[in-house]
Amino acid sequence: MIIEVLTGAIIAGTSVLYATTGELISERAGVINLGTEGSMVSGAMAAFAATAWSGSPWIGLAFGAIAGLLISLIHAFLVIDRKANQLATGLTIMFFGLGLSAFFGRSLVDKQINGFESIDIPLLSQIPFVGRILFTHDVLTYLSYLLVPAVWFFLFRTKWGIILRGAGENEQVVYAYGKSPKLVRYLAVMAGGLLAGVGGAQLSTAFTHTWIEGMTQGRGIIAVALVIFASWLPFRAMLGAYLFGGAYALQLALQGRGVDISQFLLFMLPYVLTLVAMFIVERKQRNMMPLGLKDVFEGGGN
Amino acid sequence: MSFLQEKMRFPGSQWIVGYVLPILLFALFLLLQGVNPIATFGNMISSVFGDFYGFGEVIIMTTPFILTALATVIPARAGLVNVGGEGQLAIGALTSTIAAVFLIDGWPMWIGLPLLMIFGALGGMIWAGIAAVLKAKSGMNETITTLLLNYIAFYTLAFFVHGPLKDPTSFNWPHSPELSDSLRLPTIPGSRIHIGIVIAIVIAVGMYFLFKKTRWGFYLKIVGGNPIAAFQSGFKVNKLQFWALVMGGAIAGLAGMIEVTGIEGRLRQTTGVDYGYLGFLAAWMARNHPIGIIFTALIIGMISVSGNSMEMTAGLPASVVHILMALVLFGILAMGRKSKS
Repeated sequence: MIIEVLTGAIIAGTSVLYATTGELISERAGVINLGTEGSMVSGAMAAFAATAWSGSPWIGLAFGAIAGLLISLIHAFLVIDRKANQLATGLTIMFFGLGLSAFFGRSLVDKQINGFESIDIPLLSQIPFVGRILFTHDVLTYLSYLLVPAVWFFLFRTKWGIILRGAGENEQVVYAYGKSPKLVRYLAVMAGGLLAGVGGAQLSTAFTHTWIEGMTQGRGIIAVALVIFASWLPFRAMLGAYLFGGAYALQLALQGRGVDISQFLLFMLPYVLTLVAMFIVERKQRNMMPLGLKDVFEGGGN
Repeated sequence: MSFLQEKMRFPGSQWIVGYVLPILLFALFLLLQGVNPIATFGNMISSVFGDFYGFGEVIIMTTPFILTALATVIPARAGLVNVGGEGQLAIGALTSTIAAVFLIDGWPMWIGLPLLMIFGALGGMIWAGIAAVLKAKSGMNETITTLLLNYIAFYTLAFFVHGPLKDPTSFNWPHSPELSDSLRLPTIPGSRIHIGIVIAIVIAVGMYFLFKKTRWGFYLKIVGGNPIAAFQSGFKVNKLQFWALVMGGAIAGLAGMIEVTGIEGRLRQTTGVDYGYLGFLAAWMARNHPIGIIFTALIIGMISVSGNSMEMTAGLPASVVHILMALVLFGILAMGRKSKS
């Protein structure tokens, strides 16, 4: 049971991990994007549709990533260029993504696809206990293991990382490097949307192999919450995503064993756990918040 | 972009970007779907203005949006972002249904309805109260907590309508039993329009005077304007913010009660879904002005009703409403007025 839940935590958490990492990049540049939910659900739909038509999940992945990116581009334009309220824009984009994906996905609901399958990594998957938990998944999950350290390295060890964080903290840094904060924010939001799209693709083509209207069920919102939980740090975001995945997997495991608890109470578990996790780490959080975000959270998102 | 912004000063061009462009985009979208946009728009307009029934549907739709918008407006006065109208409405609908089914079933209207209103408001208060306590005790950001609580509320409601509240005579349909006739909001004879709209407008106007004329409203404004300065001047910022959020929740909870008692007389898993978010957007469109939200809620109500007509006449799925709504809101967002709450 423990191995089952932990294995499930990884595969169920991966979609959230992509979205959380993407949102982290965007927030580091000073843009909070509740539209992550819209990017994610559009990514899930586009990836599923493209996989169904082409037969290749890789083509699906590309479409999912692009869909997520295009949706986030609207956010970038409205928030960065038109200085629109970040929270209201994000919510509108969430609606837009849910509406678009439901509309274009309506003929996909009972389709079967050949999505990403689990591949056991030779040798590594033989390691007792850990091997099964970490190395018996789909390719996108493996890629996410690499993504997190890569993003960490990018943010904290490269010049562009300093510039990106400058866009969220202190624009002078960006100017000092001769770059435009606006451009940096655009790129950050687009990277966030792209990763949210990949997360959606993992959800529909690797984890569930299905498309259902609104299937992300708030994972994009969870991602925004987890970024705060993670104090804007990539590895902690990974922990948060697997915590969410773990609660989700526990819920599946309990249901599979016919435990006599209403499924709806179990469905709540990941959301409750996210709240509790945030509660535990919250106190020290606000000092870590990129300065550019404080206005959004404390001034109604102007 | 600067030359564009210059042009934006003409009020007319703002309206073009905000309202005409989205409609043109939507027409294009319809064309690509092989649907005649002119006929569809005609149907949409006639579904809203064409007859008394359509007008009534708009009124019914607008009611919860006014209330969930107020649930955003009051905390916004104190500088808080309440995106939890959705969950607060759901829990208010739940608590009032529980009360109506298990506690005061069959009680006379004069005492029953006010009690249900209190139960609904209490439900919303409790739900907003969770976020308010987390904010006060641990400094947790209310934007995120209220959003997460929406999902928890949704599953709580689902648990009840599939479990303890399930109508025993409904075979397998998950909904509550029907409330007794005495616990239903009075309607205009021959229509579905119930007195909820009156309640909503009275509260909105009441809030306006509360903000303008009372000391509490004045304090809220100071706290919302600059919480740190207010704190340093000795204002009880935490306490004021706490109650602003809880009051917002109470009004969203009341909206839940009105949805249950005003329309169908039973609770479903889908009761009030999206109303909280649409109310948030109505509040934002009106720049958190308590009277302004009556009109923005009306706009959103009209889009919702006309969207439902698209579903029936043009054979388009329900999700199209979300697309149209988002396009209109994008237009308004793109007008780029600086919001000042």
